[in-house]
Amino acid sequence: MTPHSRFLYRTMQLIRVTEEQLARCHARGLIHGACHTYVGEEAIATGVCAHLTKEDAVFSTHRGHGHALAKGMPPFELIAELFGRKAGCSRGRGGSMHLFSPEIGMMGTSGIVAPCILQAAGAGYSAMLRKTKQVGVAFFGDGAVNNGAFHEGLNMASIWKLPTLFVCENNQFATEVPFQYAAGNPDVASRAASYGMPGIQVDGNDVAAVSQAAEEAIVRARSGGGPTLIECKTYRTRPHAEGMGDYTYRTREDVAAWRERCPIKRYRAALLAAGEATEAELNAIDAEIQAEVARATAEAEKAAWPDAADATAHVYAPARSVGPAAVPDESRPPISYAAATLEALDREMADNPNIFVFGEGIGVRGGNFATTAGLFSKYGPERLRDTPISERGFVGIACGAAMTGTRPIVDFMFIDFINDSFGEIINQIAKMQYMSSGRLKMPLLMRGCVGIGHSAATHHSGSYHSIYSHIPGLRVVMPSTPYDAKGLFLHALRSDDPVLFLEHRELMSTKGIVPAEPYEIEFGKARVTRTGKDVTVVALALMLHRVQTAAEQLEGEGISVEIVDPRTVSPLDTGTILRSLQKTGRLLIVDEAFGPCGIAAEIAAHAADAGFNDLDAPIKRLNGAFAPTPYSPTLEAAVTPPVEAITAAIRDLVNE
Amino acid sequence: MPIAITVPRLGWSMEEGTFSAWLKQHGESVEPGEMLFAIESDKVTMDVEALDGGVLYVPADAPQPGERVVPGQLLGYLLAAGEAAPDGRVAVTPRARRVARELDVDLKSLQGTGKGGRIRERDVRGAAPKKPQQPVAQPLRRTIAARMMRSTQNTAPVTLMRRVDATSMAAMREQDKQISYTAIMVKLAAQALEQHPLLASRWEDDSIVAPSGTHIGIAVDTEHGLIVPVIRDADQLSITQIAARLRQLVQAAHARQLKPEDVDGGVFTITNLGAYGVEAFTPILNYPETAVLGMGAVQWEPVALGNGHLVTRQQITLSLTFDHRVLDGAPAARFLQTLAEVMTTALRSGPHA
Repeated sequence: MTPHSRFLYRTMQLIRVTEEQLARCHARGLIHGACHTYVGEEAIATGVCAHLTKEDAVFSTHRGHGHALAKGMPPFELIAELFGRKAGCSRGRGGSMHLFSPEIGMMGTSGIVAPCILQAAGAGYSAMLRKTKQVGVAFFGDGAVNNGAFHEGLNMASIWKLPTLFVCENNQFATEVPFQYAAGNPDVASRAASYGMPGIQVDGNDVAAVSQAAEEAIVRARSGGGPTLIECKTYRTRPHAEGMGDYTYRTREDVAAWRERCPIKRYRAALLAAGEATEAELNAIDAEIQAEVARATAEAEKAAWPDAADATAHVYAPARSVGPAAVPDESRPPISYAAATLEALDREMADNPNIFVFGEGIGVRGGNFATTAGLFSKYGPERLRDTPISERGFVGIACGAAMTGTRPIVDFMFIDFINDSFGEIINQIAKMQYMSSGRLKMPLLMRGCVGIGHSAATHHSGSYHSIYSHIPGLRVVMPSTPYDAKGLFLHALRSDDPVLFLEHRELMSTKGIVPAEPYEIEFGKARVTRTGKDVTVVALALMLHRVQTAAEQLEGEGISVEIVDPRTVSPLDTGTILRSLQKTGRLLIVDEAFGPCGIAAEIAAHAADAGFNDLDAPIKRLNGAFAPTPYSPTLEAAVTPPVEAITAAIRDLVNE
Repeated sequence: MPIAITVPRLGWSMEEGTFSAWLKQHGESVEPGEMLFAIESDKVTMDVEALDGGVLYVPADAPQPGERVVPGQLLGYLLAAGEAAPDGRVAVTPRARRVARELDVDLKSLQGTGKGGRIRERDVRGAAPKKPQQPVAQPLRRTIAARMMRSTQNTAPVTLMRRVDATSMAAMREQDKQISYTAIMVKLAAQALEQHPLLASRWEDDSIVAPSGTHIGIAVDTEHGLIVPVIRDADQLSITQIAARLRQLVQAAHARQLKPEDVDGGVFTITNLGAYGVEAFTPILNYPETAVLGMGAVQWEPVALGNGHLVTRQQITLSLTFDHRVLDGAPAARFLQTLAEVMTTALRSGPHA
């Protein structure tokens, strides 16, 4: 046997035996959640991974056991993971659907069907930028190809010629929904033509055919020829998940017929027929695998449980300490908020070749808000990458890139646009560090405008900071001055956590004193922007400026207002707010966003709890109206709290 | 005035009914003409409209939906904005409650100034007995306090007092008013310390550390508090030189311009309260020094001579506090004895010696 044919046979058999063992373990109650087996589809993972090294990055879906094993994961780590043990590949955080072993290039499987397509393209982007000859590979089912991520991911991989393989395992059912029914064009490979890339259809139960097609595609990818879509026609001969009924949507006869086309049986026969292997050789491999899997199962059953105290570890990367903040140089002319972040970005891009920017019009044009002005000519098109209007796609690609060693920035222009990628942000980006138990980093900065103004109407004016701050794993930053913007932006650029950097549109051209040298401002450090003794007012971004005006007016009436700018919504510096409340006894929170479940409610809850005995009046909130943003100036002005409403609220609070 | 909301009589025959529901919520504001609550008699269910406006206040013990009620029974109140509820409950802010606890103020005695008569922090503070403000002590005062405590806690002080003849000292001062009693005593103490170095040494980690030189500190009273500048190598200076140096140091002390080297390294301290008529006192050791010499007032006194005659002489009381850990009473007394001797002998050489 050649090493190649031995790998193919052995790997398929390892997957089969492990899966059958897991099915038994599921029946015995050793597996606590879902268990999606790969029985019948072994040839695909095996044929593709035969041409990958551990530097190549594999991404897959809920049916990922086979990909993990073919990529080199020991069966013990897989079994222990499904048993929920600490020695499992994801340290017990994932189970069947979330397998992570970045050490061998198994970058993760997901319970959502299509993000792997984008992440593999992102790995391809990292490889292209760093010129490493790695490839990114996505394994996904037919259920993913009718998802927008397929369209956006393949299109961008094609236009940027990313070294990526898209391997569709067409097992003909998305859970129970037949692909023939769900697809207007059920020929997946032919869809490649829509994106201008080669589309190849192979018999997914013929490991030699898969191997050959994959080899050609991988050679093409490594040599700069761009991505390939390979459709592997196959069938899973076990139910969607262990324990589920199987014959409501397909027949016993169909399943029996596909069992006859078992890829392992076929390859064994072919090896024997060609005289490439003897029965004895193959039996020896079978016996060795049986023993290995039996041993792995026994060890996994004995393996230790994870420590409950670690349940919230690795949500964020370890904190970085930063140097002292720079002192504003009064002799330097003031610069704008947008220019302040541009200074930080330019400086950091010069120092760190792994930083690149995705966005619409951020290349030659320099960004809608001049956020990348002048950078294209310095750093070129690969690092200042104009994108199609495919927010979900490029955010998902940025996720894959961040997982594989680069530091993407998504310049999304308006937060309303990036809401199209909400699932990528909260399901993938926010969770990746935790689910990989801190073995993956997520240095991804998403920046752009929020806030109402200029009659931008409802799709260019959102303030969604509260929604994102609800999600563990994200940092949400909202600076109110050019000085803070630069320091927080640089901190975000050096952070290993995903950061939403939200810039109020009405502040972009405001000016302030900003030190020329680089400096960082840590997240979670509020700033008391004005000291006072009667009322504490907490506000962010544009509202902070309105509160400052209100406070100046009230000073004449003898009302002394203390103002706290949290600067970051997540993490939230409740300590500074509570200390101020301790002094004043009164708290008003002014936030442009909607009231219900918002950051103002969150701050009020902290104050009512930890600051209860300091309260000398009810906690008050002033929020934007609970309505979409209207266009007409008279309507627009009616949905955010004006200065007069803020002064009235403060007066009212003093009289409570 | 709170407006009472009561159960109406729905028709002549109604003796009892069932309260169905509020159509407004507690705390909600109600306009006249709005439907306020629903009530059920034997015959009909009726929504009852509000005749007045206000904020609906439903007492905790008011009838619950489904309860039997009789005409005229109280259901709740309509309050004007900010009006207190009529059922005697007084609202108090959590902060006011806390402050009342801290200042021991009885909340029942207070009239609140907040909305609806709510008691606020200012109401509690206004009712609390006024305590005089105690300003935090100045930094120098706090330093002195800490040093005095350290001295009394870490030493074993004993004070010896002795009257000595000050005639020569007074005579020297009479000749040159620039020379103070303190300056003279610095010189005399320096000479006496040569014979009794134990009094200039210090106790450190169970051993006795010899003095680095005869550096004598002088307690100086300034408007900010006590400060002790040091005359270095006093044994090598003449009285005139000591007096000049002392004047410099005192001036600098008052101007708060002493440098660290002006106050560091003392091995023995002299403190003089004689100018205020004090005769004897028990000075506190200038830790970690071993001895401090207190000077009383120089006074004319009758002295009985050995031959039975009575003469008047100028006398001074010296108060020597020493650390009993370093030396015992007798050697300390011998130091005083030496001092008494040099007070008569040494001064014969004049102020320039």
